[in-house]
Amino acid sequence: MLFNSYPFIFLFLPIALLGYFALGRLGNLAPVVWLALASLAFYSASNWQFVPLLMASVAFNYVIGLLLIAKPLGPAARLAAVTAGVAGDLLVLGTFKYAGFLAANLNAVFAAGLTVNILLPVGISFYTFTQIAFLVDAYRGNVARYALPHYALFVTYFPHLIAGPILHHRDMIPQFERKETKRPDPHLILCGLIIFAIGLFKKTCLADGIQPLVALAFGPTAPSFDQAWIGALAYTFQLYFDFSGYSDMAIGISLMFGIFLPLNFNSPYKAQNIIDFWRRWHMTLSQFLRDYLYIPLGGNRRGPVLRYVNLMITMALGGLWHGAAWTFVIWGGLHGLYLCVNHAWNNFGPAIPARLAKPANLAAFVLTFLSVVVAWVFFRADSLPSALSILSKMADPTQIVFGRGEIAYALFIAVYAGIAWFAPNTQTIMDYDHKNRTVGEALGGRRMRPLFLYATAAVLAFGILGIQQHSEFIYFRF
Amino acid sequence: MSATAKNLLRFLCASLLIMLAAAALNFVVDPLQLFRPARLFAAMYSQDSRMQDAGLIRSQDFDTVFMGTSLSIHFRQSDIDRLLGVKSLKLAMTGSTSHEQSFVIAAALERHPRRVIWQVDDWIFRDAPETDQDIYLPADLYRRNIRGLAGYLFSGAMARESAWILARSIPPLAPAVARLTTGVLFKFPIARVDDINTLRPDVDVAEAYNARKSVAAFRRVIDPVRSAYLAEGYSYQAMVKNFERDAVGLIAKNPDVKFDIYFPPYSILQWVAMRDAAPATLQLVFDFSAYMAQRLAQFPNVRLHDLRVAKETTHNLGNYADVIHHSPAIDLKVLSWLAAGTYVVDRAAPTASLERLKAQVAAYNVDETRGQ
Repeated sequence: MLFNSYPFIFLFLPIALLGYFALGRLGNLAPVVWLALASLAFYSASNWQFVPLLMASVAFNYVIGLLLIAKPLGPAARLAAVTAGVAGDLLVLGTFKYAGFLAANLNAVFAAGLTVNILLPVGISFYTFTQIAFLVDAYRGNVARYALPHYALFVTYFPHLIAGPILHHRDMIPQFERKETKRPDPHLILCGLIIFAIGLFKKTCLADGIQPLVALAFGPTAPSFDQAWIGALAYTFQLYFDFSGYSDMAIGISLMFGIFLPLNFNSPYKAQNIIDFWRRWHMTLSQFLRDYLYIPLGGNRRGPVLRYVNLMITMALGGLWHGAAWTFVIWGGLHGLYLCVNHAWNNFGPAIPARLAKPANLAAFVLTFLSVVVAWVFFRADSLPSALSILSKMADPTQIVFGRGEIAYALFIAVYAGIAWFAPNTQTIMDYDHKNRTVGEALGGRRMRPLFLYATAAVLAFGILGIQQHSEFIYFRF
Repeated sequence: MSATAKNLLRFLCASLLIMLAAAALNFVVDPLQLFRPARLFAAMYSQDSRMQDAGLIRSQDFDTVFMGTSLSIHFRQSDIDRLLGVKSLKLAMTGSTSHEQSFVIAAALERHPRRVIWQVDDWIFRDAPETDQDIYLPADLYRRNIRGLAGYLFSGAMARESAWILARSIPPLAPAVARLTTGVLFKFPIARVDDINTLRPDVDVAEAYNARKSVAAFRRVIDPVRSAYLAEGYSYQAMVKNFERDAVGLIAKNPDVKFDIYFPPYSILQWVAMRDAAPATLQLVFDFSAYMAQRLAQFPNVRLHDLRVAKETTHNLGNYADVIHHSPAIDLKVLSWLAAGTYVVDRAAPTASLERLKAQVAAYNVDETRGQ
């Protein structure tokens, strides 16, 4: 089921909210069970065949976690348990996500003739990472014992299940345990609706609106210089508004249930360097990769050379997490390279004089943005030759069309760039503070200004009016 | 009720009001003319034929339906009417499948036309999504059910078009709005129904259709890197199944409607490309073609025209933009052949023209394309 669909907005969400708060009068556990069941219903609406896999994954990780948390095991047994748990998770993920990729590569090298046709369960990358973090923390002794319904809800919680944000058990489960979240709070519901409205508008009006332009670069016909740039920039903004729109919707929906989700975006295209970009783009994935891959690999503790190696490994695997294709590996590797250059510049580059700070910042911003756009070409292209072909067109200004259509498209792109670069982001508009669990305080708290209220009501209306049939989120396929 | 609860209620009511206002605007302007022919506002039309056809079927008067793919998308209704002596409605859709075509024709047949002119080739019968899974065809709009009408009325994109059509109908604004109306920004830029999906007047026909382009296209499709596409999507069983359901089923269900079905005049290069780069597929197409001709010959309300053997056209490569798409001059020839019955297939020998085509394909020497 899609957040940007009539059945979700007008049927599923109201029923889930009503049931949650109605059961909240009966006790603290029933709403949690209700929400977990609602999440399974949400998942099964379009992925019913993978519900047993999801439930088995929850049960498997809960049992391993229980062994690590509640049983007095020796160090070797604990290591064996966590290894078995993480290996089991990776095996399932590898089978469903990477078996076809592996077979294709074996076929290419050895002409092995292997055929693998396995459907990718939606959300498997997200719920697998969530649970690996849980197991590793349990092994490190950083996890309290959780009840099964709370754990099951933590994994299956429908606002994040399909495409994140990647949740952390220490952040979520205590919120599920709080009694206060089971009582309807009109302020949180209103703020949640407004955040949802902004996300829906980003998706249905902005991302879906610019989507046709992407074909200029990535379509079947070879683009000219200007068409290649328009297509690449269109995808740059489509992906941002699509994914950040989804994340806003997830945060908004969750807020209606009284649950604060972590932020996933912080105006990434305003970044002035790649390190900054990764602190702003898909923030929960960046944090996961840092805490559970980069730091265990040694991080920056083993000298500058190994730091760069670790960065490259982390980013290449981060790329592979997005999809089983070499284009994603190249995309991740390219960002790893960018990060290495960025760190090297920070360590060895010259200091910028104060009088040149502004132009230097502007140059850094432009360079960062262009580097990101170039990397997105690999992320979006169907194959490496296709990506290289598009990049070659972007580097060849001898072929320019710039007809009436291209001029109009360029204006479109300028509007989108203006929004991404100069408009305040959702958390700023809504004064959303995940850490302190507050929202809307700067808007006059519970006495919201009428103009703001009606403007955001219009945003919700336009978001709903913009709903098109069959418009999935890009990150669903990861 | 607390101040926040009141705000929540205001927020929801305001959203609802705005949505209702958009729906009211769409209902009054009715860009697709689904509810009534345009009277208050000037009629405007879209090039998105899968959507536009749903409105045309409701708003236009016609006694003949004209259906096809991109090979017949540029035909002018006025030419069809003039040369065939009918009142036609062109419903051709680029890249359409037999599921889509049959569904749209069936919707048009509810208006009881007497005749269907149907451009049919083997490719439309490839396996394709059912109409309800087809993301390009708004099937519920044709059915006029609640989902279809609600989707139409509560559409922001349609409200934008409605507002634009409204602005275009206000006299002081009309000239400026008309100048700004472009297919790049708006979905309903066409003022005359006869102009829907015809070639724009500024298109240089000689530059768009010439031997150089058709030969270049031929070389592209036989390039070993791409030649696999020639065989892609072909399955004899699937094509027979779809033909039986979408074409034969429709014809049998409407015995009072006369069906003029024609196989379009591809350039000879399309067949030669298959002959040289995908011979098994060519054999499959010939077999399927024979099956279609034999089956259609069994229906008294069908007249089959095999224009593939119109050698003076198909061997003149200057008539084509690639290996299949012919120029507007050939559009007119097609209509005159249909009117005169020049290439009507004899019911007693339904595969005779196919045999002539086979002979032409076998005899064609690709050296003739050298130097083009």
